[in-house]
Amino acid sequence: MADPSRYSRQLILPGFGEGGQAALERSRVLVIGAGGLGCHVLPQLAAMGVGTIGVVDDDLVEASNLHRQTLYTPADVGAPKAARAAARVRELNPEASVHVHLDRLSAANALELFDGYDLVIDGSDNFPTRYLVDDSAALSGIPSVWGAVHRYGGQAGVSWASRGPSYRDLFPQPPEPGTVPSCAEAGVLPSVCAVIGGLLVSETVKLVTGIGEPLLGRVVAYDARAGSVRELAYGRDPDAAPVTALIDYDEFCGPAPAPRETDASTMTPSADETPDEITPEALAAARADGEQVQLVDVREPWEAEIASLDGAVLIPLGQLPQRWQELDPSAPTVVMCHGGVRSAQGRDILRSLDFELVTSLAGGIDAWSRRVDASVPRY
Amino acid sequence: MAELTVRYFAAAAEATGTEQETVELPEPALLGALQDLLVERYGDPMRRILRSGSFLVGGVVRRDRDHPVSGTVDVLPPFAGG
Repeated sequence: MADPSRYSRQLILPGFGEGGQAALERSRVLVIGAGGLGCHVLPQLAAMGVGTIGVVDDDLVEASNLHRQTLYTPADVGAPKAARAAARVRELNPEASVHVHLDRLSAANALELFDGYDLVIDGSDNFPTRYLVDDSAALSGIPSVWGAVHRYGGQAGVSWASRGPSYRDLFPQPPEPGTVPSCAEAGVLPSVCAVIGGLLVSETVKLVTGIGEPLLGRVVAYDARAGSVRELAYGRDPDAAPVTALIDYDEFCGPAPAPRETDASTMTPSADETPDEITPEALAAARADGEQVQLVDVREPWEAEIASLDGAVLIPLGQLPQRWQELDPSAPTVVMCHGGVRSAQGRDILRSLDFELVTSLAGGIDAWSRRVDASVPRY
Repeated sequence: MAELTVRYFAAAAEATGTEQETVELPEPALLGALQDLLVERYGDPMRRILRSGSFLVGGVVRRDRDHPVSGTVDVLPPFAGG
């Protein structure tokens, strides 16, 4: 053990002691995602003496991460997150054995990876990965401590299929694509990452040392605006099929065809044929061919100041139900936003107002910048 | 009439403007009738939550609109941000 005084303030905790410390040092914890949650979880795990820590992330640091992902500095922008996070964490505690996994977690590598760990912490940023982590943990027989953040709120729980209810018992079906915005779409308060990240570490320490009652079969929901912390208890889903193998999680989580109200008496054949989304490449080609496309930008004015597309009419989504009359209902229309979630809602609003040919820009201006025109700033 | 305690979390609390309320439903009280009432009361935001979130009746997730509801119903939308 390193300098014994390093851990003295936790060694004297009731029920913790040298046994607790030894359990931490023996433990092998895999952290999925070195983002807003991972950045709060990883330093705590290392500093308090977790012996083996794995970090899985295939993302690069972006400037928009820095407000909440406090393991990174502006100089890290463009660097692999997992590698930078591991370097910082090793500085915090050179005794920790930190393993970097730069590959994206997939059904092909998850079970082999999980085999080397006693517990997984899920701080990933998408639903396919969350279901993949939960199923892999179930098949590996290890607990998954999961947390999620969104705007001003967060959730955390423990999923352990062999001992109690799992994430799938709480959320048997992934949400329909487009109904739940990501952090990039919806925003997130940095302090919420700290609160939920702290809960994840508490649960991890409890499971490793045997102290206290784990959040098994319970979810903690934190709402920063209300200042409230609430608990929801849940049991097993009686209709759940047992998890016996990994599946294709991208397919499981969509994109499913968006349900359309079909009323043959009012719907024109052309509207029926308009696809729900158009790719940035297809829109660019249509504009290059001189097609008259009515481009409706449903983002907020501050976003349009950072980046916008020529000829777009700016009507924030919240104003669309009042201001749609500024648009031509008979013109071919593409609704756009930052990532494609708000624009899908805008498209549905315009369709309900009998706009004939409305579609949504897949991936929004962010995809446009990545795939069509890199001179459009990303944010 | 059946009297239910409905608790709203995250986006469901935003859609309703409250964390909890008492809802009365005519007997036999079924999940589908509760969902229809909530959509009628709270509109499109609640419709989106129906497409994404979980309804837990007495702490057990229920998907069948014909499932009876009583006691406490929790409305919990998921999110995946990390």
